Amino acid sequence: MRMFLIVLICKIIYYASRFVGKQGVTLAGLIALKMDHQILQKLSIQVKKKIIVVCGTNGKTTTNNLIALALQGANNKVIYNQTGSNMLNGIVACFILNTNFLGKLDADYACLEIDEASLRRIMPQCKANILVLTNLFRDQLDRYGEIDITMDLLNEGLKYAPECKLIVNADDVLSMYFARESGHPYLTYGIEKPVQDSKNDEMKEGQFCHYCNHKLVYNFYHYSQLGDYYCPNCHDKRQHIDVNGENIIFKDHCEVTVNNIRLITNYKGFYNIYNILASCATLINENISLEAFKKVLVNFRPENGRLEEFNINGTKVTLNLAKNPAGFNQNIQLCINDTKPKDVLIVINDNAQDGIDVSWLWDVDFEEFSKDNVDKFYTSGTRYKDMQLRLKYVDITSEAIGNYQEAISKAILNSRNKNLYILVNYTALYPSHVYLNKLQNEKVK
Amino acid sequence: MKTFKIYHLFYDLLNLYGDRGNIACIEKRLAWRNIPFETYRIGIDDDFDLKDADFVLLGGGSDREQAIVCNRLKEIKSQLVTYIEDNGVLLAICGGYQLLGESYVMNDEIIEGLNILKIKTIKGDKRLIGNVIIDSAWSNSKIVGFENHSGKTLINDYEPLGKVVVGYGNDGQKIDEGIIYKNVIGTYLHGPLLPKNPEVADKLITLALKRKNIEIPLKKLDDDEELMAKDIMIKRLLNM
Repeated sequence: MRMFLIVLICKIIYYASRFVGKQGVTLAGLIALKMDHQILQKLSIQVKKKIIVVCGTNGKTTTNNLIALALQGANNKVIYNQTGSNMLNGIVACFILNTNFLGKLDADYACLEIDEASLRRIMPQCKANILVLTNLFRDQLDRYGEIDITMDLLNEGLKYAPECKLIVNADDVLSMYFARESGHPYLTYGIEKPVQDSKNDEMKEGQFCHYCNHKLVYNFYHYSQLGDYYCPNCHDKRQHIDVNGENIIFKDHCEVTVNNIRLITNYKGFYNIYNILASCATLINENISLEAFKKVLVNFRPENGRLEEFNINGTKVTLNLAKNPAGFNQNIQLCINDTKPKDVLIVINDNAQDGIDVSWLWDVDFEEFSKDNVDKFYTSGTRYKDMQLRLKYVDITSEAIGNYQEAISKAILNSRNKNLYILVNYTALYPSHVYLNKLQNEKVK
Repeated sequence: MKTFKIYHLFYDLLNLYGDRGNIACIEKRLAWRNIPFETYRIGIDDDFDLKDADFVLLGGGSDREQAIVCNRLKEIKSQLVTYIEDNGVLLAICGGYQLLGESYVMNDEIIEGLNILKIKTIKGDKRLIGNVIIDSAWSNSKIVGFENHSGKTLINDYEPLGKVVVGYGNDGQKIDEGIIYKNVIGTYLHGPLLPKNPEVADKLITLALKRKNIEIPLKKLDDDEELMAKDIMIKRLLNM
């Protein structure tokens, strides 16, 4: 009876919130936890096959959604937190909203993207069988602290699931240190051969060997610190890649061959190759054929502001999340790879979830935009003037408009090239997405 | 005019929190005034000589990285001492600031610093994180930045960079922020410090030029964007 009430109340809160235009997921989770603090355990033990958790600085939402859809494509019942509410309340809500009024959860798999700092709060009640770690980059230092602290937080969470298998990026030296030192079994994915020229002055993490403190040498970089490394002192080197991506295309759309199967997507970006490879490794670990994944990928489009496209009054608008230097640098490359003339709007907020410290903007290589075909730059968000100043220091003139709706409308209205990229950080994402949807629907009418 | 030489020390380790923006700021403010400059990015294994340096940045690193740097710094201590005592201009941020002192604390362990300044960083009970405003003789307008440190730095009788208006400051007492010694600024302020505080940047440039015996008034630049970005934060933090 109590479970019935919890499920009922949470579903009402969720749908009522949606009705008034709020996400509602975290509130539903919060209420459920208040009513029964063991609720997560009661529901998570009902998952029939496995709980798969996706952590890592960038690519969590896309990777988790890919894995969930691929598992569904292989005839599994899957629950997953697809909107990216990835802290304790969001995870609880994901379970409760998929539970029937008798308190029964019908799921073969739970695919959960989890915030790195929240893993230790979730794992005690929801033990992962698989932890997919996408990558570890510098991110929101005022919230997470240094990357070493993030790794400690992940380890703390992992302790609650001693049987958990890791799926890690062999090209990321930091993820690999984490996996190797954790004592857990792991499966690696990566890209063995160089694909593109990656310039060397990008801000890179983990340039020093964890075992002997000597500076690492890279045969090549894919991007940021991802690449083929070795230590000239103690001879440690990139580990064997179990699931390797070959013959890669990424500029107009992504293509990659894994185990002789050609996987093709209709979205682009080099970093997305890694999201696909992480998903492949997870599926291979589950003995699921990549042929099924291939069909899923053809129809897959990242949502919720991950390379989300809108058509507003004839202008193609691409909304993408860019919340830390590594992600932002990839976004800039993505803009450059679209050789058509364009306008760019950058929205930077400094709310608690974004990190209130915006000094990371100076770790982004905005000077790369000089290679791009950009007509006009706009800045917006609570730190619109900081962003404008950052651009000034790479000789880019921009128009700063504090209100994001005003900035979006103006950029679309004045778009001579009918091609607008909107790059936003975390708390700017959902409101921008909602506003763009609204504009798109108005124009259709 | 003689080339202005900028040294970014151990950029491969001391580069947290956008500190390289301070280099970008000095470079641009020289370029906008047609003052020729060169920047030397010094890696941990690189040899270098500060004898013709005009501006040196010692940034902050993660605890792990700072420990690696500390050993290397001891090898070049005499160079750094000579440079500082000869009125060399040096900006030391966060970890770099701590390293100049007698000692600092990492994971409960007391680590010996360079001992160039008689300051000491002790363990704090909580991490001091947030936006900062200080009043300083180095800038007519208030200085704005961001602090993120767990150590508390005791500056003894040294002159602070400024008085805390908003934030925790050196030791969490909300009184003093940073330190001035000769032409050295030590501070916890990221942001990075210089771009949004152009008066501090220009003062550092002026001091460095003076040391080169170039006493020209710096051409005034259009700092509207800098000062507006700063003003927004001042108004927000002071509820104006």
